[in-house]
Amino acid sequence: MRGNETLLDFRTSKFVLRISRDSYQLLKRHLQERQNNQIWNIIQEHLYIDIFDGMPRSKSQIDSMSGSLAGEAKREANKAKVFYGLLKEPEIEVPLDDEDEEAENEEGKPKKKKPKKDSMGSKSKKQDPNAPQQNRIPLPELKDSDKLDKIMYMKEATKRIRLGPDNLPSICFYTFLNAYQGLTAVDITDDSSLIAGGFADSTVRVWSVTPRKLRAVKSATDLSLIDKESEDVLERIMDEKTASESKILYGHNGPVYGISFSPDRNYLLSCSEDGTVRLWSLQTFTCLVCYKGHNYPVWDVQFSPHGYYFTSGGHDRVARLWATDHYQPLRMFAGHLADITCTRFHPNSNYLATGSADRTVRLWDILNGNCNRIFTGHKGPIHSLAFSPNGKFLASGATDGRVLLWDIGRGLMIEELNGHTDTIYALKFSRDGEILASGSMDNTVRLWDAVKAFDDIETDDFTAATGHVHLSENSLELQLGTYTSKSTPVIHLHFTRRNLLLAAGGCYSPF
Amino acid sequence: GGFSKMASPKTLPKDAQVMIQILKDMGITEYEPRVINQMLEFTYRYVTTIIEDAKIYATHAKKSNVDADDIRLAIQCRMDQSFTSPPPRDFLLEVARQKNQTPLPLIKPYTGPRLPPDRYCLTAPNYRLKSLQKKTSSSAGRITVPRLSVGAVSSRPSTPTLGELMRKLYVYTTSTPSTPTVQNVLINPSLIGSKNILITTNMVSQNSTSDSSTLKRKHEEDDDYDAL
Repeated sequence: MRGNETLLDFRTSKFVLRISRDSYQLLKRHLQERQNNQIWNIIQEHLYIDIFDGMPRSKSQIDSMSGSLAGEAKREANKAKVFYGLLKEPEIEVPLDDEDEEAENEEGKPKKKKPKKDSMGSKSKKQDPNAPQQNRIPLPELKDSDKLDKIMYMKEATKRIRLGPDNLPSICFYTFLNAYQGLTAVDITDDSSLIAGGFADSTVRVWSVTPRKLRAVKSATDLSLIDKESEDVLERIMDEKTASESKILYGHNGPVYGISFSPDRNYLLSCSEDGTVRLWSLQTFTCLVCYKGHNYPVWDVQFSPHGYYFTSGGHDRVARLWATDHYQPLRMFAGHLADITCTRFHPNSNYLATGSADRTVRLWDILNGNCNRIFTGHKGPIHSLAFSPNGKFLASGATDGRVLLWDIGRGLMIEELNGHTDTIYALKFSRDGEILASGSMDNTVRLWDAVKAFDDIETDDFTAATGHVHLSENSLELQLGTYTSKSTPVIHLHFTRRNLLLAAGGCYSPF
Repeated sequence: GGFSKMASPKTLPKDAQVMIQILKDMGITEYEPRVINQMLEFTYRYVTTIIEDAKIYATHAKKSNVDADDIRLAIQCRMDQSFTSPPPRDFLLEVARQKNQTPLPLIKPYTGPRLPPDRYCLTAPNYRLKSLQKKTSSSAGRITVPRLSVGAVSSRPSTPTLGELMRKLYVYTTSTPSTPTVQNVLINPSLIGSKNILITTNMVSQNSTSDSSTLKRKHEEDDDYDAL
């Protein structure tokens, strides 16, 4: 008992209770009248009473916020300003198609290319007051290949389907056969070209979703034989002889619990029960770096949306921020009382959300490591998190089968989505944030109306000041559809750039 | 897996029945049937390890029998080794506070894949070539293939550098001009890492004279790999 850290935490930290001043006075008077000093002593020693002025809360309001192992969050825990806005997209010139130009300018006159400004860049020069400065945290500059990627992204975005309650996405389910309950993690690249699976036998497998096969770079002897001045040198360095639909990566010493592709599709990260995070190259399909820091199982890893940084969270209750070129973490986020099961970057890469087995979700500032938000309300360990594409909202799913929606700016719970009957392992917002998809161990994918959920936010300042929750009881109305697989739990969801929903899970054949 | 019916307790071996009872006492009601097997395997492994350790301690103390003290010591040593728990919360908070004080490092402009220094990466060669046996042969065309010895992968900084490897190969080829040898060196392809250096070796044909100063080392231009 002495060495058990969880017990020590319980004995030393105080359980937080939020109570209105009137209720507190009543309680105090009641206990002192009865001269029941023992209970009063216990309260003073082990409870932290956070008093607020105003109306006492209703039972349903209290129930919705309770559940965390350390009580609710103190009011000042959620007061810091969070820059939840998105970073400005860089302006990239989109060159016109060469074919059109040649047809017009046959006389060889100098062509005047009118670069099209990309529609994703913000039109206004003013800084969004809720967005962080561009250089608040150092981010890698865009390479030419990144700019080409962004142009592809914009082209795909124009062909995107607008989703809504009347226009639900089609769902394509990728079932991993013969996994024998060993599929522990899945990730899909942003352009949906590669899918990777982490398995309990410590392997990571990468598949190509498109007809294009996976190719590794040739060996050194073969590379010496190619003509380096040729135009298609980048194709010639790839080895055609060993091209295959899938590649297997060996290296870990235990089940792989989390994987994440880099945004530029050059790297793959995987974290495992052996306490390490490995960086794999998707050019050579070999392991490049082994990041050691957690000495205990690492449950989740994720690349930042801008690349270069990644986070990991595990059994040691600490989330770490790493950069690919540092062998030690840059930031450590300590504060959770139990394992960190899920880590997600904010779309602007300035903040990190962690979900934990202590049933809270915390939002951390990467710049200084401070915990800016503590969200309580789940009644079980949290296993999935998703930020909305506009950066304002966070969705979390736990073993209690509920999805909770949080307003980051004001630090409040917005909505509670009931429907699932088992742990929710996958949450994803559609590309424009209209639909929230959730996948669970109960073998279903459910779609929720995100636009409607966020429309109902009360703009009352008084509400924000007291931190009370006003949940509308219409989670049934928000549910747009339930889609069941025969017996395959859903562990990953991904919206393609055109808003097709991909789901992944391992086939559980009955014994 | 979790949907199949459990075998009736009467037909299960006694150990399994004990395990089921333990699980029931601990308050665990829902579990897959394979859990019992896993728990039994773990118990068996743990108990054998402890008893073996205790036997070693007893022999060390020159005792003929293993007694309770040996077992106690074995349990304590194993506890410190395997069943450790993460550091306490205040320690973590303090370490985190110190770590988070240093500002985030600025990112240098792109000069190749952003990886840690080579000795923290797994991109170094993990084998060394054994030296060739010098053989004088009368007939031309004797082919000797160098034997590869796979050394342990270690993180010591003195893993054979490219320079050392080159020097070894050069020594082989210039040692005995009268013995034509064929060399076939395979370099770990993941050497194409942050330095973008390619080693090219030319095959020395068995009939050629020992014009073997043919080992070249080429630097690749960085911009060839920009788009990777």
